[in-house]
Amino acid sequence: MDTLPVASGDAAEPLTPAQLRELYSLMVAVRHLDTSAIAWQRQGIIPGYAPELGQEAAQVGSGYAVDTTRDFVFPTYREMGVARTMGVDMVAYMSTHKATWHGGLYDPLESRLAPIQAVVAGSVLHAVGWAHGQTLDGTDGVALTYFGDGASSQGDIHEALNFAAVLKAPVVFFVQNNGWAISVPTERQVAGGSVAARAAGYGMPALQIDGDDVVAVVEATRRAFAHARAGNGPVLIEAMTYRRGPHSTSDDPGRYRSLDEERDGAGTDPLERFRQRLLADGIADEAFFAGALAAAKAEEDQIRTGIQALGSRPGTEMFDLVFQETTPALQAQAANWREESEHV
Amino acid sequence: MSNSILEGALIVESPAATTVMSMQQALNRALDEVLAENPKTLIFGEDCGRLGGVFRITDGLQAKHGEQRVFDTPLAESGILGMSVGLAMAGFHPIPEVQFDGFAYPAINQIVCQIARMNYRSRGTLPMPITLRVPSFGGIRAPEHHGESLEALFAHVPGLKVVSPSNPHEAYHLLKYAATRPDPVIFMEPKSRYWQKGEVDLARHDAAGGSPTGAKVMREGRHLTLVAWGAMVARCLQVAELAAEDGIDIEVLDLRWLKPIDAAALAASVRKTRRAVVVHEAPLTSGLGAEVAQLITQSCFDTLRAPVERVTGFDVPYPSGDLEDEYIPNIDRILFGIQRVLEYKRG
Amino acid sequence: MAEISFPLPDLGEGLIEATVLEWLVAPGDQVERNQPLVEVETTKSAVELPSPQAGKVVRIHGGPGDKINVGEPLIVFEVPDNTAGIVGTVPKEEAPKRRVRLSAVLDED
Repeated sequence: MDTLPVASGDAAEPLTPAQLRELYSLMVAVRHLDTSAIAWQRQGIIPGYAPELGQEAAQVGSGYAVDTTRDFVFPTYREMGVARTMGVDMVAYMSTHKATWHGGLYDPLESRLAPIQAVVAGSVLHAVGWAHGQTLDGTDGVALTYFGDGASSQGDIHEALNFAAVLKAPVVFFVQNNGWAISVPTERQVAGGSVAARAAGYGMPALQIDGDDVVAVVEATRRAFAHARAGNGPVLIEAMTYRRGPHSTSDDPGRYRSLDEERDGAGTDPLERFRQRLLADGIADEAFFAGALAAAKAEEDQIRTGIQALGSRPGTEMFDLVFQETTPALQAQAANWREESEHV
Repeated sequence: MSNSILEGALIVESPAATTVMSMQQALNRALDEVLAENPKTLIFGEDCGRLGGVFRITDGLQAKHGEQRVFDTPLAESGILGMSVGLAMAGFHPIPEVQFDGFAYPAINQIVCQIARMNYRSRGTLPMPITLRVPSFGGIRAPEHHGESLEALFAHVPGLKVVSPSNPHEAYHLLKYAATRPDPVIFMEPKSRYWQKGEVDLARHDAAGGSPTGAKVMREGRHLTLVAWGAMVARCLQVAELAAEDGIDIEVLDLRWLKPIDAAALAASVRKTRRAVVVHEAPLTSGLGAEVAQLITQSCFDTLRAPVERVTGFDVPYPSGDLEDEYIPNIDRILFGIQRVLEYKRG
Repeated sequence: MAEISFPLPDLGEGLIEATVLEWLVAPGDQVERNQPLVEVETTKSAVELPSPQAGKVVRIHGGPGDKINVGEPLIVFEVPDNTAGIVGTVPKEEAPKRRVRLSAVLDED
């Protein structure tokens, strides 16, 4: 499905071999960090993690289209691959999974990535608001907002799509349809079977793409960005992918889907698919792949070390960060806390 | 609901025949029995069916009672609660689940503006027998919106009743009771206590065979009353044991019903002890502790030896896991609160 | 802790048995869902069986060369009791710790 007018200019230019190799390196880095984070949880380094195994192409490909000098991205809690692709400090990002700080420790303004969002569909309306702000300011930034097939059931999604279309806000709604909302499959979640099909009701162009094909994802997202940036209003992309792992490290998919269902649903591993393609096109060789993996391992090593070294935030931050202008009552509570509990 | 002093002051006696189970098992069993006893009951919510709920409270119920009566919904809390209203109008008794406390916020419109008011709006012709289960409170190092204490918010809404069990025995009986009421009940399950085991007397709720209404004295004492609910009851019982080492004899009152609050039980306990500390995880300001303190002051003003103390969470958004233990009232903070009351001098 | 036994599945088209070629895990190993457990040979092919679940391996049945009938136990896992939510951790029950002592002169009127 593709109801987006064909774009011109930058968006239509094919990816160069160097860019294709960069995409591969990013996907390997994300894959390795993601699988390592599960190991960290098993090793007691972090209390929990929400894996994105199988969604590397969708996340790296869409994040790759972002211009961090002017765009802004609104993630959920499962966009580690987007964050990595945007160049976010990954120790600061992964700190959310260490239970250090809910939104992560990175600077959202500097990184152009809104704080990690635990509320399903929570930040989608924020993207519309931010984007409308760009219109009001006369700038050409585009908001990229993520949600899933599960979140598409939330009323806020309807409100966001409708607002964006009414306001012609420069928003790219990027849906990762990964087949599962914890235990509930898409067919029990999305009436009609497609989130992209709903865009027509808002008069919004939409694309349903193979979310496991990283090149297709980059191209679709770039086209959507070009459309929105040119003042033509929002676009919805539904990237069809598959949550190959559990919902979280405490989840047991064996309770609701069989290994056969997983194999059938997941299809070919997006990373392996891209590797075969690069090989077949003569863009990369085994030495390159080995180098990319070695770099990913070194990177994970550094991030793990950083996460392990990360101490708890001082308890005073609980009080100091509630308001810009604190209140006497809160200061009194902070004083009481220092007296009774600090360094217990 | 009865608020008699007698019921409020009852002590659980060691029952003759009990079963040891976790709160998760007790709740699961209660729901199983409710489904069997009332064919109009329905259980639904996110992942409640095939998975059995993210905390396994509805484990096995779909297989046993069928996909019509125990089912997964799309991921939409407002939808879950709004649908409950319609089902209740159609004569069903919905027992929906909101997966986590913080997920109740998207459903607040339906809870406050519809569930709580329909009976009133319809002049009693459309009762809302809805038992909303909400895994609540903190203590499990979970992500944001998975550790909130919403009791004051719910209790403030006219038309809702609110209850929270503190152990497996209470969980079994309070849920069975709540799920047979003709009015909406918010059932707040302390998720940090799901897996601790305790004795459950399935046959009777208390020695006198009364119904699980009102508050309950969990430990008798002479010098001071600790008032708590949910997960804080177990902590207060620990504090009471520690206080005994110092010669202070503490009574622990499990409030259980957060609306209506058992004012008579509060009065009976504090008239005896003359001192009270109320403990909750929710933030201090406009928390339920203020309501409790007022009720105690109202009934015990003449005999109180000190103002009622509150030991609570702070007026901050519920923090991430690393700071959770700094936020939830710990043993020392409760002891400090007790000490302030003990050393209070009129003047 | 509970034990869960995984029987040899029918590996296709009504096969009734398979021969163990090589175990890829050993008792005591912690395995993940989908991790290869064992290589077996049927009359049609040699296949690797992925683990149906995560858990600790308690026992394995049959050594290399042994035949196992479909439906008979192949491997037994130890899994935690049902004590997990979808997020967060199960709090540990600990003996209460204190540093505050109470002091009071209580009149018993």
